[in-house]
Amino acid sequence: MNLEDKTSAVESDKTSSTEPVSSRKPASFFRERPPQEIEVAPQLSHRWTRRDLLLFGAGAVAAVAAGGALLPQATLKRLGIIHANKGWAGKEWLLNRSLRIDDDVAEALYSSNRLVPTYTRSQITPLRNNYNGATPDPSYIPEWRLTLDGLASGLSVSLNIRNFLGSFQVHEQITRLVCVEGWSAIAGWAGFRFDDLLRAYPPMSQAKWVRLESSVNLGPWGNPDPYYVSLDLSTARHQQTLLATHLNGKPLTVEHGAPLRLLAPVKLGLKNIKAITRITYTRDEPADYWAKRGYSRYDGI
Amino acid sequence: MPEEQTGVRVVRRHHLLVRFSHWLNVPILLGLILSGVSIYWASPVYQHTPDPRNGSVDPLADIGTWICAHVPGLHHYSSPPDWVYNHISLGPGMLAVALRLHWLSAYLFMLNGLVFVMGSVAGGGWRSLLPRRTDLRDATRMFWYYLGVPFAKLTHRTWLHKRFNTKYNALQRAAYFSVPVAGLLSILSGWAIHKPMQFYWLTWILGGYDKARIWHFWLMWFFVLFVVPHVILVLADGWDTLRSMIVGWSTRTERSEDN
Repeated sequence: MNLEDKTSAVESDKTSSTEPVSSRKPASFFRERPPQEIEVAPQLSHRWTRRDLLLFGAGAVAAVAAGGALLPQATLKRLGIIHANKGWAGKEWLLNRSLRIDDDVAEALYSSNRLVPTYTRSQITPLRNNYNGATPDPSYIPEWRLTLDGLASGLSVSLNIRNFLGSFQVHEQITRLVCVEGWSAIAGWAGFRFDDLLRAYPPMSQAKWVRLESSVNLGPWGNPDPYYVSLDLSTARHQQTLLATHLNGKPLTVEHGAPLRLLAPVKLGLKNIKAITRITYTRDEPADYWAKRGYSRYDGI
Repeated sequence: MPEEQTGVRVVRRHHLLVRFSHWLNVPILLGLILSGVSIYWASPVYQHTPDPRNGSVDPLADIGTWICAHVPGLHHYSSPPDWVYNHISLGPGMLAVALRLHWLSAYLFMLNGLVFVMGSVAGGGWRSLLPRRTDLRDATRMFWYYLGVPFAKLTHRTWLHKRFNTKYNALQRAAYFSVPVAGLLSILSGWAIHKPMQFYWLTWILGGYDKARIWHFWLMWFFVLFVVPHVILVLADGWDTLRSMIVGWSTRTERSEDN
């Protein structure tokens, strides 16, 4: 039925409901069409049939059960629905699968040529010290060295901060750092391109990943809790991915990862590891501190 | 279809795919909202200066504290600031779980939106949702009608429903048209928060990263505020209306009835 005829459609359409009824004027494409009449068995119009009830009931039960089972154990326990942890293998699989799909989408969206927006000095906002545990004792800074592993040369290289200050060109950028929790901050950074380090100390040819580690990281009670992140080499080579030494014109403080931290604005803040002590190039994807705790692994934004 | 004397004439109302996506929205939106509020908890958009007594910056936590202090039976609630979050989200401190559930629900929501679009096109139902030039006047008339219903019922007066030639009255049309629009805006603002660097232009259109979060937050409330009267009115309107979203047809062959 594709003709505009509001009154006669209901009345005259006795033989077929799919053919046009009359043709006084053609309907506009956007004009609402008259209702389409069909015929159903009379018992259907009075009550549920047994088949409807079974189908709809089964559908509703399946939807509630599947949806409810996807809720976290802690939520179900708090609601009094379950009393003990009853793991359901499919649930973790499904949730992890959706996390992987989202990571794959993020990876597909990433382009090494696309730059993140930059800001002016007046748009800079306060940046909080977001160390997950305690802030490390600054005593590590004087003896700080960066170790490079997984190089093409097969050697392990140990650098101090003067090696960086002398040999790489300084880049400055004012970019936004976005935390997985939802807050963000605009800050001015200065440092060296990760890409320059990769050129100066090339990784082994099969390398696709970087593992960055901070051995001085502390847990909530001041206990040693090394922090480590995985980073794909493509992101490391992005021209806005810095190994930063300065924040807002001043050398990094211990709160912000002195003397050298990662600044990858195309990644969530949790990848932007502070006080890096070791960089290892690997062929396979390395472990990641937060991925082990249920967060995603790629974290591209 | 063979013509039989026993047959009942009904009108088609909702395409199979539209019905399918309509009901799927129930668990999907529930998953999005429950996990979304847990994500909100990690860094509330609306904050005040830290309360000197407990360090709280979150009005939702304050409401929970107030409820536990004033509602009988809740005085011994173990964590008053979490009361609101414990009742409208997965709970506090579950960011990783909430994010995974949110991505799962969000991708399903987008797929479900496609199903709805396909069903609307296949069944032609999208035309019934489009706003009309006369909608403002008609919506005002419908508004007065709804306002008068309880009074007319109480005083046993006849209070005639306005007659319409269309599938929906102007008020319904405004509501049902704005739902897919809000769904689209939720998806766009969601991407703007999720990928503020790759989709920086989308984030920019929505006024920047922080504003995009506010869009996303209030769009959730749109769905909540839509669902409440939606369910009440459908139940008040009767079985035929609810059934039409299950079986797809309605026995109301006259178009002027409230539905």
